[in-house]
Order: sequence, then C-alpha cells, then structure tokens
Amino acid sequence: MFTCKQVSNALSKEDYEKLPVLRKFFLKLHVKLCLFCGKFNGQVMQSQDMCRCYKEHEEHLEPLRPKLDAEKKEALKELLRSQAQLKD
Amino acid sequence: MSEENQEKVAIAPPETWVDRYGDYLYGFAMSRLRNAEAAQDCVQDTFLAGIKALDRFDGSRDIKFWLRGIMRNKIVDHIRKAVKEKKVDIDSEDEGLIESFWFKYSGIATTNPDPWQFNPRKHYDNGEFWIVFEKCIAEVKDPAREAFVLRVLEDQTTEEVCKVMGITPNYLWVLLHRAREQLKTLLEANWTGKDAK
Repeated sequence: MFTCKQVSNALSKEDYEKLPVLRKFFLKLHVKLCLFCGKFNGQVMQSQDMCRCYKEHEEHLEPLRPKLDAEKKEALKELLRSQAQLKD
Repeated sequence: MSEENQEKVAIAPPETWVDRYGDYLYGFAMSRLRNAEAAQDCVQDTFLAGIKALDRFDGSRDIKFWLRGIMRNKIVDHIRKAVKEKKVDIDSEDEGLIESFWFKYSGIATTNPDPWQFNPRKHYDNGEFWIVFEKCIAEVKDPAREAFVLRVLEDQTTEEVCKVMGITPNYLWVLLHRAREQLKTLLEANWTGKDAK
C-alpha cells in the first residue's frame, strides 16, 4: 500500500495511466479512500485525464484553431522556395 | 514487416509546405506559445530546419508529423530562451507552500481543494471545449504556464524541465499545482457550453 507522499510523488513524476497495472490499482485505491490526500490527488488525476484527452483530440482541432495570415504565408513561401533552390 | 517492405510516404516538395502544413503547425505553436509572432517564428524555423534535415527523413510516416516533431523542439527552445531572459524567481507564497506541513508530510497543497463547478469529462468529445481549454492555458500566468506546457503538454521529464527553467523539483511541483489551479478557475469562468454549470 502507498503512503500519501508516495502517491503524490508518483503523480508528480508520471501520468498515472502509464503506471504498471498493480501500482495503478493501489494508487487509485489510496486516492479513493484517503481522507488526507484523496481530494487533492483526485484532482491531480482528473487534470492528467484531461490533458491526456486533449492530446488525443489535438489532431482534430486544426479547423478550429487560429490560422497563419495570408501575408505571412506568402513571405514564408518565398523563403522556402529560395531555400529549396539553394539546397538543390 | 521488414524495413524494405514498409510503405514509404510520398514527400511533398518544400515549396508546398506552407499551403499544406502552415496552418496546422501555426495552430499547434499558438496552443503552446500564445504569442502570434513567436508562433510564426516557430513555424518558419521548423520549415527551415525541415529543409536542412530533409535528407534524413525516412518517409516512414507523414511528413506533417515529422515537421511537428521538429516543431516540438523549437517550442522547447523558445520557452528556454524566454525563461533565460526573465529568470524564474520563487515568491514567498510558493516558498511557504513548499515549507508547509501538508507538502512535507503528504506532498499536497491542501486536504480540501474547491470541487469543480461542472464536470469537464462530459465535454471531452466536444472540439469547442478543447479550444476554450487552449485559450485558458494561454491565460495561465508565467512561469506556471511554461512549466505546464513543458512538463504536461510536451512530455518533458521533471529533470529536463528543472534544467530548462533552472528550478528545483519541489518548485516545479508548486508551479504545476498553480497552473492546474488557474486552469480550473479559468475553465469554470470561460466554458459556457451545454451543461457548463
């Protein structure tokens, strides 16, 4: 069984989903039952869930994200064309 | 599958990269750097580094993801430079937290954090929620935001982030706690989607 400090240390080093199965089980059990660190570390785990989900969704966010402005695009194209020619 | 049998992906010529991947990379950089000028510089540096290293691209995956890999390094470089310019100093409140009984005894900041005002899990399938999430990350104050981007979004190890930011692991823990705290408050204030409250 983990101590509160060990749970906090484990969560600060690693996403709990990446922990080996048994370690993850005991960590979740501790957080569920612990009156001292349960609420705090439960929120840390929730934040880890959120960030993991965000990264899984990131690839599909392009249409909703800000775009490069047209002027910058043209300048970049020009630069890439010249660099590609230099390399050839 | 042997290496020879692996299907190679066609490489788009660099002249077409801006139209193909410009917006994708810019959106990605904006989600980490929050500053349009810095994000544009990052896209430019990524493309230039991509052209230089193109000979080393093995075609085993879409070049878009290869360029994004280069961009990850550029983002870390950018944050490293920004941190170097202003140097991260620990304030007295954060110092107090590290010295507190709860942190020393159990590695937590409080036994009773404020509960979420809505259940964010309900919105994980909604793209709009993640855009608000990105905007909220951009509003988190530095250096907590920088620590959060490096450690959580860019998956740098604790040792790497401490080295880049010149801070101790304990202070990194405090910064990540501050970032999570602010992100929660900002999401509660800014997410107005269905069943938000």
